[in-house]
Amino acid sequence: MTQDVEMKELPAPSNTVSTVGPSTLQHLKEIASLIETGAYAREVRRIARAVRLTIALRRKLKASVLSAFLNFALVPGSEVHSRLSSYLPKEDEHDMEVDAATSATQAPAKHSLPEFEIYCYLLVLIFLIDQKRYNEAKACSSASIARLKNLNRRTVDVLASRLYFYYSLSYELTGDLADIRGNLLALHRIATLRHDELGQETLLNLLLRNYLHYNLYDQAEKLRSKAPRFEAHSNQQFCRYLFYLGKIRTIQLEYTDAKESLLQAARKAPAAALGFRVQCNKWAVIVRLLLGEIPERTVFMQKGMEKALRPYFELTNAVRIGDLKLFKTVAEKFSNTFSSDRTHNLIVRLRHNVIRTGLRNISISYSRISLVDVAKKLRLDSANPVADAESIVSKAIRDGAIDATVDHANGWMVSKETGDIYSTNEPQIAFNSRIAFCLNMHNEAVRALRFPPNSHKEKESAEKRRERQQQEQELAKHIAEEDDDEF
Amino acid sequence: MDPKLTEVSQLFERFKAALVRNDYDTCTKLLSQLKVLLTEFKSLPPLFEETPNAIHELTIARDIYEHAVVLSVKIEDQDAFERDFFQLKPYYTDAGGHLPQSPQEYPILGLNLLRLLVQNRIAEFHTELELLSATALENPCIKHAVELEQSFMEGAYNRVLSARQTVPHETYVYFMDLLAKTVRDEIAGCSEKAYDSLSIKDARQMLLYSSDQELSEYIKEEHPEWETKNGFVIFQRAKESAPCKEIPSLQLINQTLSYARELERIV
Repeated sequence: MTQDVEMKELPAPSNTVSTVGPSTLQHLKEIASLIETGAYAREVRRIARAVRLTIALRRKLKASVLSAFLNFALVPGSEVHSRLSSYLPKEDEHDMEVDAATSATQAPAKHSLPEFEIYCYLLVLIFLIDQKRYNEAKACSSASIARLKNLNRRTVDVLASRLYFYYSLSYELTGDLADIRGNLLALHRIATLRHDELGQETLLNLLLRNYLHYNLYDQAEKLRSKAPRFEAHSNQQFCRYLFYLGKIRTIQLEYTDAKESLLQAARKAPAAALGFRVQCNKWAVIVRLLLGEIPERTVFMQKGMEKALRPYFELTNAVRIGDLKLFKTVAEKFSNTFSSDRTHNLIVRLRHNVIRTGLRNISISYSRISLVDVAKKLRLDSANPVADAESIVSKAIRDGAIDATVDHANGWMVSKETGDIYSTNEPQIAFNSRIAFCLNMHNEAVRALRFPPNSHKEKESAEKRRERQQQEQELAKHIAEEDDDEF
Repeated sequence: MDPKLTEVSQLFERFKAALVRNDYDTCTKLLSQLKVLLTEFKSLPPLFEETPNAIHELTIARDIYEHAVVLSVKIEDQDAFERDFFQLKPYYTDAGGHLPQSPQEYPILGLNLLRLLVQNRIAEFHTELELLSATALENPCIKHAVELEQSFMEGAYNRVLSARQTVPHETYVYFMDLLAKTVRDEIAGCSEKAYDSLSIKDARQMLLYSSDQELSEYIKEEHPEWETKNGFVIFQRAKESAPCKEIPSLQLINQTLSYARELERIV
């Protein structure tokens, strides 16, 4: 299947004229024909490919190219056409007219396709957002969403899911995300009823993003836990979902699960999505610190991330040493970064981990130490540091952070000899969990291999297929009529 | 003025008067009447219709629910507190744009944080915390609760207890008393692990009892496994994870077999 798609691609460069405008238009027309065949053959994959190709063209989109394409794809003078053209700035179009005229002769059959209409909406919307004309983008996207609600075609779903995304983006850019929450929920419901899984996936992410934008973690979690889940269709959406899930779990103190989600999101994200991966890494670093782990230095040295992760690197250092004073200075020094990353509250939680690490260092270094010295070393500045130190130590013992006992009468802490870990079953358990991880990874990789549907069958031509579909429809009609007769 | 609104405000005045007199029975009765009346206003959540009296109605409804929360603290009913607080919350979050900020907002939000802490619902505590702005976090009422949570997590229990003296609002005392009980249980749990034994005098001080009598009753009820002997409380230590003497053969066989099965699938 991919073969014949690529074949269609090939002639395009040879036909192009030297100027940029027509070549982009040519590309758009190629994409349009891809959508057309996709729509007739009901092949969602072709449409998905069309969307991917469009994104590659994104930087080349110009008002003149767009209006020429609108003339090509939509009936000039129709309601959609006039509405969409109104968003485009008027430029001298005379050099495009020839092109539009030639296309008009060969395109009458296409005009009825709703896919084209939606695709044009998508193009104009992307163009408006790139031009930073957000208010018009909002109007355009709202119109497209209203149109989408009345369409129920599987081939539109891919285009629709992109539209939802830009719809939400245009509102986010103007800071009115709260306004569309109800609408998104309604769209999610519609997508669920139509079994549009890609749409559900996209809309669920948009809703989560919407809630998290306002720190509504409670609502986000309630929606997430109740929304239907299925195997992910789009890797990008799945990454986003994992990231949001990780954030929610972090806030709700489920650090182990949060770490898993965030690391998976960072790993699965495409290499080009640097900003997303930086965000994932920031959160993952904090979650690992909260879990009492110290992230490796390589995490902070990843290409292109050194600068963004610098505050988190220094923070990690402070936690690693267990120095409360250093921790405080770092937190203050970068407080602007932390509050713009909205990790400030998490950093406040870390204080307790700093104390724990400090305590662990003390417990390893000394076999017996007075509580006065513990308080001094931890730099606890409070009214009654010794009593504080005693209760902090006893809580750390109970939570298993250190292995020691406290002698209240003499006021000291006695560390226990650390036993030989290799005399226990621990290594065996760790080894087992690693093997299980590798085997699981292999199995998932096998499962993730994709095969195009029906690739083994003989390829039927578009003509034949249309004939066959017509026959099927007639057959269906007959059956329906017979049914009517019976009752 | 709208007759319904007049009726509500009159009833509300009576409610407030009863609250000042500490006549809680009358208060609860009046409150349920008020809540029924409030359902007739269309400008209130969740409808938020733009009626001419919207601002006035929203303000009075918010005032009523704020008083309801305070009442629930006074009659020491935590469930009622939760219910009333959730009814009140939309007025702070969703209607916040239409109304001037209520002076009671931060004390009540802080009170709710404290309640979550007392009930040991730490995840919800942090979820609520995320909703607060930087200015809200600076407010003494909220700061109080946030610092309490920190001390609690660290294990600095005497800081938690001394915070009772510095409550920012009179209604906080009820929850602080409840918190003291939670703290006692925590201390008992920690001491059990951290000490081999404690003199009865020290244990009494640590668990905040004024007499040995109370201490021994507490031990009998909550920790019957503790032993009191010769003026000492002796804690039964949990069995240490002893070094493994036997090889867990059955488990190992199972694991090895499953590796073999998986490997076979790969090859």
